[in-house]
Amino acid sequence: MNLLSLLMLMFPAAPAAALDSPLLWQEPPVEEVVEEEVAEEPVEEITEQEPAQEESAEVEEVEEVEEEDPNAEDPNSPYLAIIGGDIHTVSDGLIRKGTILCKEGRILKVGRRVKLPKGARRVDASGMQVYPGLIAVRTNGIVSGRGTNIADDFDPFGLNVDLGLAGGLTTVESGNGIAKLTRGTLEGTVLGTTGWINLNYSSTSPGSRRSVRAEFSKVRDFLRERRAWETAKAMGEEEGDEPEAKGLKSGYLELLEGKAIARFNANGLKDLLSICDLLDEYPMQSVIFGGQEAWACAGRIGRVGARLVITPRAKSWADDSLNRPSGWSIENAKILWEHGVTFSILPQQTFISTGGLAGRDLLNLPMEAAFAIRGGLPQQAALQALTLDAAKILGMDDRLGTIEVGKDADIIICDGDLFHYRTFVEWSVVNGRVAYDKAKAPYFAHIRPREVPSMDELVEEIQRAADALEEEAGNAEGDVETVEEEVSAEEIDAPGGI
Amino acid sequence: MILSSLLLFAAQPLQAEASEPTREPTGRVTVYRLGQVETLEGDAQKNVSLLVRDGVIERMGQAVIIPDHAEVIDLRRSGQVATPPLVLTHANWLIEGRRSGGRNSQFLALDSLWLEADWEQDLLEEGVLLVGVDPPGSGLPGRTSVLEVDGQTGQPEPLVADLHLKVTMASSSSAKKLIRDAWKAAEDAIEKEEKAEKDWKKAREEWEAKQKEKEEAAKKEEKAKKDGDTAAQDGGKKEQEEEAPPETFEPPKIKPDVSPLVDWVRQERVGQLWLRSASDWLHWQDLLGERELSYEIVLRHGRSQNFGEVASALAATELRVEVPAVISFLPFTRVRANLPAELAAAGVEKLILAPPNDSLSGVRSWRLGAARVVAEGLDRQVALRGMSVEAAASLGQEEMIAPLKSGSPATFVIWSGDPLDPMSEVDLVVSAGKVVYDRAKKEKEEAR
Repeated sequence: MNLLSLLMLMFPAAPAAALDSPLLWQEPPVEEVVEEEVAEEPVEEITEQEPAQEESAEVEEVEEVEEEDPNAEDPNSPYLAIIGGDIHTVSDGLIRKGTILCKEGRILKVGRRVKLPKGARRVDASGMQVYPGLIAVRTNGIVSGRGTNIADDFDPFGLNVDLGLAGGLTTVESGNGIAKLTRGTLEGTVLGTTGWINLNYSSTSPGSRRSVRAEFSKVRDFLRERRAWETAKAMGEEEGDEPEAKGLKSGYLELLEGKAIARFNANGLKDLLSICDLLDEYPMQSVIFGGQEAWACAGRIGRVGARLVITPRAKSWADDSLNRPSGWSIENAKILWEHGVTFSILPQQTFISTGGLAGRDLLNLPMEAAFAIRGGLPQQAALQALTLDAAKILGMDDRLGTIEVGKDADIIICDGDLFHYRTFVEWSVVNGRVAYDKAKAPYFAHIRPREVPSMDELVEEIQRAADALEEEAGNAEGDVETVEEEVSAEEIDAPGGI
Repeated sequence: MILSSLLLFAAQPLQAEASEPTREPTGRVTVYRLGQVETLEGDAQKNVSLLVRDGVIERMGQAVIIPDHAEVIDLRRSGQVATPPLVLTHANWLIEGRRSGGRNSQFLALDSLWLEADWEQDLLEEGVLLVGVDPPGSGLPGRTSVLEVDGQTGQPEPLVADLHLKVTMASSSSAKKLIRDAWKAAEDAIEKEEKAEKDWKKAREEWEAKQKEKEEAAKKEEKAKKDGDTAAQDGGKKEQEEEAPPETFEPPKIKPDVSPLVDWVRQERVGQLWLRSASDWLHWQDLLGERELSYEIVLRHGRSQNFGEVASALAATELRVEVPAVISFLPFTRVRANLPAELAAAGVEKLILAPPNDSLSGVRSWRLGAARVVAEGLDRQVALRGMSVEAAASLGQEEMIAPLKSGSPATFVIWSGDPLDPMSEVDLVVSAGKVVYDRAKKEKEEAR
């Protein structure tokens, strides 16, 4: 749980006072706590009451909805509620049978007792597993265009956008741009650029290694010079003008200033170790794609703080002629995790494929991670690799990667454990909009179709859940929350957690 | 008086004899008696007579009094059906040449026309009387033209040489940049013109003021002359040498590729927006922003047949939408999509139903495609209207090809059966009362 939500929990009344504005009063009135929906089941009786006062057209409209059905969804509501699923928050463990309330593309509330505003769009996730949307840190052909050009090149109805969402992806890197798979809309597609600067530091090209080191040396000299000048200025011994960054290769200064991320490709131990040497000498943010032999120097990688992007099913055999560990290991991810290395996972093909290596493409990203789990990686760590750690590698962990109050409402709802081969993504939510619904999309709807429970079954299920909660509440002292008939709009909009 | 009336008497039978073989169309009455007429305004009518005089349907109905001298063509028993003629909004197989994408608004479709000898017979065989052609190429390839199919061989005179501005949209940054730049060029030209007009006004006003001064000075001079003072005369002469600005404002010349764009931006010209996928529509909306333009929409088959995604958004614009008469599979699935029906259901009222593809064989399978689309849910009337009167309206010819009723031009096709039955053939095409295609006659000639 982040600091904000903690604060909200401690001082729940604080924001309510601040938001006491007439504007917010026009927000739709709150209806009730999820679990108490059943307690007030005979709604029809209430609806027979006198019609609403005609204050303004807007208010009237809201009241009309109330008269029809308190659970009626308003497709234009800014709220989306994902109700009753087991929420894997990544940041804060598992919340069983919890509810996520999203508003205008952000997560507003997460917890087991979340009050829902009138008209909120709903996703019934009961019996489902809820995860943050998956992130692929390198893709081709899912979104077109490069960098921020993606905004003008994006096909929001593209087949691969649909299939990406069906595979659980909600955010992808493409040509250094970071894009969300906002199906059906061009709004909020582009998140930004990665800020990666590619460095060739391979043992097969000693020339480029030499030039990389030479460039960094120049930048370091410049930085020292500038720091000396700044110190002198601060001490009042100003000498001449500020030194100018002249003749430095573009990007290198940003790297050493911590404004960019160095991106390497390296699989072999030799290359990995020499990158570690470089990072020792020139500390900077970095990400290494490949890392097949990283298990052999995991501690070293952990100490220099390099992040990795690995492919657990990519194999190369050990070289018997070497007097050292070599080749791939099924335990690679597990060993890296044990050494505190931040890493993400990619399949061998960074696009969506229907032929060739099908099954090792982005349609099946969790399967790639499942292979790491087979090698000993804890499931929680595998989930983190596909969500929060991937967000870190893209420099987007302030917005993506966890189910936390204030983060982007990018959420996937699966019909089972994410890493099980049988599991399908049932819904993908991007920016608080349902971007993919397995039952409505034409691809997998016919495979193990989602059972739609009858109304009676639903009522019964909710009743049972409510009873269980009541019982539980009765046991835990002071845990029961009495809910007023009318909860103020600002209370609904106040962020909060469990 | 008596003499002249005698002469008239004598002349009358002579006159009648002389005019009989040539048969002046003026005043001549033809009555078509038909089993069924698809008026395209309301339901089909049964057992109808069409009284045609001077190229106009004078009377249409079940009880039409047939004048004595009328020629009666009785088609009631053969199951023939009359409809307004079909209109082909885009016949790009009549166009030759390729131009790369870019800003080529100066071109007319007419410039690239390449007609086969039999092109008119081919179209008349399918009941098509009006054809729109587009300039080749993508981006801003030029302006469209309209041709009338009158059955006479040779290079046709265009009905309309310069109609819509064609714009092809794609979901790519380069396509969007091209259109953005085009608007910018048009706006710059407008700004330049406005500035030039301002300058001219100012110069003109100044000059007029000066002229007045001069006149006054001249008056004074005259006065002075009378007084006998000669010194003022010289000063007046010098000023007269200044050149006068033109009396009317002449706008600065606009480049030929920008001029149609200026008209479009000023909403004096209709654009024709070609879309290949649903995503193009969203990108167009993004590009358009708050700008107001008049345009029509042409949906073409592109990578995927996913316009259903934006059907209600298209309907909300109330624009005219053209869609091919095709039922297709959604990409990579076995889900069938009847896009014309989807669009109609979403509320698109001005729907044009185009042939399945842009070729002569496309035109030949047009009615079959339409029949399938109707069989799977599109309203029959909407389909028929979309193939004729609605398409004619898109080409600005709604008065030439209109629903059949009293007072409409006598322009119609008589089919051997239901026009949506692919077995039916065109028996007769009548344009403004004149028969331009007669299958029986043609077959006889060919047999000879």
